[in-house]
Amino acid sequence: MNKITMRDTFWNRVYGLAKEDKNVIVIAADMGAPSLDKFRVDFANQFINAGIAEQNAMLVATGLAMTGKKCFVYAIAPFITLRCYEQVRNYPAGMDLPITVVGVGAGICYEDSGPTHHSVEDITLFRCLPNMQIFNASDNNMTAKFADMAYQSKHPNYVRLDRIVLPNIYDENYDFSSGLGVLRDVSDINILSTGNTIQTALEVSDFLKNEGISVGVIDAYKIPIDYDVFSKTVQGAKKILTLEEHTLPGGLGSHVCEIVMDLGLNIQVKRVGFDFSKKYCYVYGGREVVHRAYGMDANSIREMIKGMM
Amino acid sequence: MDYSKYEQKAHELRNKILDLTTNAGTGHLTSSLSCVEILTALYYGNILKYDPKNENWPERDYFILSKAQGSPLLYTILADVGYFPESDLKLFAQKDGKLSVHLQNSVPGSEILCGSLGCGYGIAAGLALGFKKNRTANVVYSMLGDGECYEGSIWETATFVAHHRLNNLITIVDRNYACATHFLEDELSIEPFADRWRAFGFDVKEIDGHSFEQIFPILNMTHSHCSSRPLVIIADTIKGKGIPMVENIPLWHSRPIPKEMYDEAKRELNQEEQR
Repeated sequence: MNKITMRDTFWNRVYGLAKEDKNVIVIAADMGAPSLDKFRVDFANQFINAGIAEQNAMLVATGLAMTGKKCFVYAIAPFITLRCYEQVRNYPAGMDLPITVVGVGAGICYEDSGPTHHSVEDITLFRCLPNMQIFNASDNNMTAKFADMAYQSKHPNYVRLDRIVLPNIYDENYDFSSGLGVLRDVSDINILSTGNTIQTALEVSDFLKNEGISVGVIDAYKIPIDYDVFSKTVQGAKKILTLEEHTLPGGLGSHVCEIVMDLGLNIQVKRVGFDFSKKYCYVYGGREVVHRAYGMDANSIREMIKGMM
Repeated sequence: MDYSKYEQKAHELRNKILDLTTNAGTGHLTSSLSCVEILTALYYGNILKYDPKNENWPERDYFILSKAQGSPLLYTILADVGYFPESDLKLFAQKDGKLSVHLQNSVPGSEILCGSLGCGYGIAAGLALGFKKNRTANVVYSMLGDGECYEGSIWETATFVAHHRLNNLITIVDRNYACATHFLEDELSIEPFADRWRAFGFDVKEIDGHSFEQIFPILNMTHSHCSSRPLVIIADTIKGKGIPMVENIPLWHSRPIPKEMYDEAKRELNQEEQR
């Protein structure tokens, strides 16, 4: 089990990049991490605290990018995506600049903080932006690679990190270029998920394997999903349950439905995620409790999979 | 000093933006008219360093038009100084044209995509900080509208500019007192405007934005501005300046002069010049 958080994994890697390249700049909107404490001391000229002012942070990153800097703009996920959404839309995305938005707090990992801190619309909002690549991390080895991939990219990126420590799923040398990770062989019935709910998907798949039922698990860690990669990956699949700690409209499940429809694939899709059509989540007591309340826990998913068979 | 050649250029530009907006049937004429003298000084008065033959010249100064509604004026100037053919202006916001009512970074010389207020200024701050980090001498000029200063992000940027002592960024506010629907001071005052900037840590210069006698002495010193306090120039202007029938009438904000009023507008503009 890892002991280091995703954000520390990410910033440790950025530390290495910044050491080699003085054009790497981290702009934090009053957001820290133990690893960033070292960064801001060792590379004072490459660290900017923009204060609790996400709009200006994104605009300053834009100006810096126009002078050749590689900016990582960092805050709690809902703030660095929603407060400055228009700035992200017009500048990193609209002008196609190599700026990386880094949000910690994917989904409801700040569940104790209530809806203001939940990041549950960001996939919908970012996947429709031109040139934007979402990197949604499900383990630390992937997270470290995301730092490299974002650094090498000539386009805008959004790295979406979880707050908690997740067990490693991928090998350190795994090739993350395709965007879809097949974690359990694709079967008739499959779970396609992203981020921390991959853990739920694996738990369900492994449990059902003991009952003689094989359930494929696919990790969509890069969004938008590449259509060709998708169609090759899901060959042979008849049913896909999408699982996301995100609101349903426009999220991962919607994305999968669009691809299946656009490609004319004969695949049945069932979407599982948050229904916030009436109100946001005010359930406390841990993420598991929230998952149970919304039918997203392993038991509920298991029953849904059986119901789809 | 004799500023007559700049006055002549300003008059020529006013005629061109009237023609451009009436021809296109769109574009913010009055927002453009209020800042003609300042942009004339910047582009024709040896203030901005730029090279139309080399739009990406690394040593150039940057003009960031945060109040992008002034694009009919900026585009007219960019064509006039040679960034792109004047014929492109005829297709302003027309089929097969390259120019929109607001700024596009794809247009040589315009630097950024802009149209939503409160954004260009933060980019100007990022540019200025980047040039400081790169130890280059580029100066960034950013023009804001006074109505734009309702946007909270302008003051996020002002905090940032002052803290980082970005004296290579020259902030110019086109204080024309009018928004799209109203006069600022009548419905939501921004006074004491100069004191607000002072309180944020700026050196403030207040000038008549239509007087070259007042514009040039300030702009001439911007390349050697070395105070740790960044400079803001508040230019008192008249929205629609030069065409009395549209001067100081907020509702002309996004309206071009219709074809049936064009001759009268032209007459007014040329009478004003003689006056």
